Amino acid sequence: MLVMWRRPGESLVVGDAIEIEVIEARPNRVKLGVVAPESVSIVRKETRVVRQENVTAAWSIDHSTIASLLRRFPR
Amino acid sequence: MPRMPTRFFGSVDYEPDSVFHFPSGIPGFEDQRDFVFLQVPQSEPLMFLQSLASRSLCFVLLPILVADPHYRLNLTPEELFELGLPDDREPAIGEDILCAALICVAQGEVPTGNLMAPVVVNLKKNIGAQVIHGDSGYSHRQPILFEENALSCS
Repeated sequence: MLVMWRRPGESLVVGDAIEIEVIEARPNRVKLGVVAPESVSIVRKETRVVRQENVTAAWSIDHSTIASLLRRFPR
Repeated sequence: MPRMPTRFFGSVDYEPDSVFHFPSGIPGFEDQRDFVFLQVPQSEPLMFLQSLASRSLCFVLLPILVADPHYRLNLTPEELFELGLPDDREPAIGEDILCAALICVAQGEVPTGNLMAPVVVNLKKNIGAQVIHGDSGYSHRQPILFEENALSCS
């Protein structure tokens, strides 16, 4: 992993078309600005994780898994 | 009363005012904005979030306090705004809002609940969102063990 220090107002560039600027730095979070071509998807990593998990969850369940889920509950 | 096709329960009647609008959709299914919570007494405590527009899309959820009786939600001011909730107090689960975890059942594995990103709906304004709390310490694949004592806290 490439690691570097930046101050608010400073940027780094990725390839020819992507620029990431540190707008503000606080003790436990930083505000970033990203300039990139429209074709490049930019999301928080946890959003991507959740998207994949949602798709998996949606198709993981059918009638038999519902029945097996319900058997786990004390009646 | 209008009817809708559902993934698991055939065609069902639903009240128009039981439709929840998700302004941002649900990640992975951003084109689906309107959902109905199906009431299925014999399947409690499971909940079913059925897309109004797409019969094949139906999420299975568990009330968050069944998944984890000690769950802490901590909505941000931005999330309170998106959900149309007042920002001067914590919304009460079960009164102001409904909060539930999406369940995933991978083949041969223990069912898991997404406690990192619960679905939250404003019960009074029928607005919903999946809130993503990446820094909450909760897992998006929390094994659901269904302990007997958990049910008494739901």
